[in-house]
Amino acid sequence: MRIGTLKTSYGADEALFDSSVQRGLLVLLALGAVAFPFVASPYWLFLACLCAINVASATGLNLLTGYTGLVSLGQAAFMSVGAYAVAVLEIRLGTPFLLNLLIGAALAAVIGILVGIPSLRVKGLYLAIATIAASVILHFLFSHWSLTGEARGLSMPPASLFGYVIDQPFTLYWLIMPVTCLMVLGAANLLRTRIGRAFIAIRDRDISAEVLGIPLLRYKLTSFAISSFYAGLAGGLWAYFFRVVTPESFPLVNSIFYLAAIIVGGMGTILGGILGAVFMTLVPELLKFAANWLTPIYPDALAALAPVRTIVFGGLIVGFLIFEPRGLAEIWRRVRRFFHLWPFRT
Amino acid sequence: MTDTQLNRRQVLAGTAALAGMAFGVSPLAAQETGEIVLGGSIPLTGVFAFAGIGIHAGIQDYLKILNDGGGIKGRKIKYVAEDTAYKVDASVAAFNKITSQEKVSLYYGDSTGFSKTINPELDRRGSMIMAGASFATELNDPKKFPLQFMAGPDYTEMFGILLRYIAKEKPGARVAFVYSDTEFGRDPIVPGEAVAKELKLNIVEKIVTPPGSVDVSTEVLKLRRANPDFTIFHGYVLAPIPEFVAQAKQMGMKSQFMGTFWTMDNSTVQRMDAAADGFMGVMPYRYYYDKDGSVPMLEKIRQMRPEYQSTGYMQGFVTAMLMAEAVKRTLDAGKELTGANLKAGLNSIKDFDTGGLFGVPISIPGNSVPVGRIYRFDAKAKQMLPASDWIKL
Repeated sequence: MRIGTLKTSYGADEALFDSSVQRGLLVLLALGAVAFPFVASPYWLFLACLCAINVASATGLNLLTGYTGLVSLGQAAFMSVGAYAVAVLEIRLGTPFLLNLLIGAALAAVIGILVGIPSLRVKGLYLAIATIAASVILHFLFSHWSLTGEARGLSMPPASLFGYVIDQPFTLYWLIMPVTCLMVLGAANLLRTRIGRAFIAIRDRDISAEVLGIPLLRYKLTSFAISSFYAGLAGGLWAYFFRVVTPESFPLVNSIFYLAAIIVGGMGTILGGILGAVFMTLVPELLKFAANWLTPIYPDALAALAPVRTIVFGGLIVGFLIFEPRGLAEIWRRVRRFFHLWPFRT
Repeated sequence: MTDTQLNRRQVLAGTAALAGMAFGVSPLAAQETGEIVLGGSIPLTGVFAFAGIGIHAGIQDYLKILNDGGGIKGRKIKYVAEDTAYKVDASVAAFNKITSQEKVSLYYGDSTGFSKTINPELDRRGSMIMAGASFATELNDPKKFPLQFMAGPDYTEMFGILLRYIAKEKPGARVAFVYSDTEFGRDPIVPGEAVAKELKLNIVEKIVTPPGSVDVSTEVLKLRRANPDFTIFHGYVLAPIPEFVAQAKQMGMKSQFMGTFWTMDNSTVQRMDAAADGFMGVMPYRYYYDKDGSVPMLEKIRQMRPEYQSTGYMQGFVTAMLMAEAVKRTLDAGKELTGANLKAGLNSIKDFDTGGLFGVPISIPGNSVPVGRIYRFDAKAKQMLPASDWIKL
């Protein structure tokens, strides 16, 4: 049982990881992440990379929606900006992939700022509609512009580093996972700064925030820029992962997916974005194993259970919203508390 | 909110169960049982489930017939499929999962997006051939997609078959294209125009609509002004075709409305209600109920499944048949089952009888089977009935 955490400085109080147990577990997690590609099959590596990309994008949206309180349904569109930028740069200029990723993310951030301008006047559902409009415009642009390959999209070569081609889940893992970790760590640190606290103040009451001296325009647009930067970077990683970018790669439903991920995970917590994105990516895949296990008993379980699986997934989301509105992060917090207090109960 | 009542043992047991679930399905070594594996990323849910369920059943039925008959040189074909919900990431996940667990020689993919995404991986592995639900013109390029094929004409070839029929029926006819603003919809438009020009047909209007649009009144007015003799829809399954045709008929338009493969299922056309009568389109395969000509394979299907089977079913069935034929030819030649050998086996198919599923003997010189026939919906019989001979390009 943990009986208390003594902090003797402000620095310790603000630390991201405040106990030695936490730091130890983090080291174990990092070791696990390093060992994972050597023991996992390409299928699990593929899913790990996909989860990481979704975590990166969901974390970006969490900064905007969860921390700044600006609802956006444009996350997939911002991802498409990053993905197309990376694809065009890789095909036309063949510039280094890290540079491409950064340019793609920066471009998405610029677009994000433009889309975010209405956020000064509109909030909530109205802002969500404005971001949908931006998504539609971007979709139209990408599907009609010869540079972006019009309706057929772009097929791009893989990323390469000093002639070493990064095209398999094993190698892509070493690109995607570290970038995502840095992004998540960056987001967590951002929230300990003046900028992060300004975001939270705006979310909790924007008028009060302005009275406190927080320039709303600057911080709202900063939030949009950072969130879109994250989406653009995630989109760039997505492009290197799949190597085909078409206007149909980032439909509106993907934006809803990311919004659902942060709601299920827990809005306004970094862990929530991670857990939500992992949950939304992995659960539909894990549910497929039920059909695999039943196939020896019932040969056509795959076809028969396919619609059931969709219903179960939907049911799980609704269940979480009803029984734990604060999301998976809150459940995780309760589990941790249980272990901290064991053998006593709360 | 209630706090979860957990004890340490329950939590640990849960964690262990999850870990077991994860590692219990981790990579299995490919078992050398002599079985040949046909993997599939199949859209059993999602927007394409209407076809995916039929495709799944068609593949299973053909393999049942084949395996019950002793397989190919005593080797059976095992079908391992995963649902993809018609999402590219799920399709790639399914591909990775199946190829991690099995030694796959044949693969069925569910979309153009997936076919394009997985193509470099197919080339890298060089161990299998792939076909799928996509008839995209782009895929009909043996240089870019050397290990892929499609069990029918590509979309441009479908337009070619329709336009040839039109040129024969009414030389110099006025033709309009109505298509969705998607990759699927745009696919045959530019090459279709070129074919029309060759056949001395006049393309009088091209109307592009958002996918799944409902209100098409302005587009119908545009179509009426153009007054085409024939209107070809492409890039849709159903909506907005019924609305389009119904409004056009109300305005007194006499244009003949036509569709391409994925619109052509008998039950889909029936759902057009009043708009269905006289609706025409191109079909590479015979319908489940077709009686003309020699159709032994169709008879077998009807014995196995007494109820109507969709065009998706036929597509899955024929695809599995052509894949099996490629395997047979490769094994007959004493070659190893590699992608290149299987594709060479497939391309050696010449004047091949599919038991009546294609109405004529087929050849696969490249990535497609450019054969089809025009069918017309008969409201009285509630069936699509043949309106032309089989047209080979």
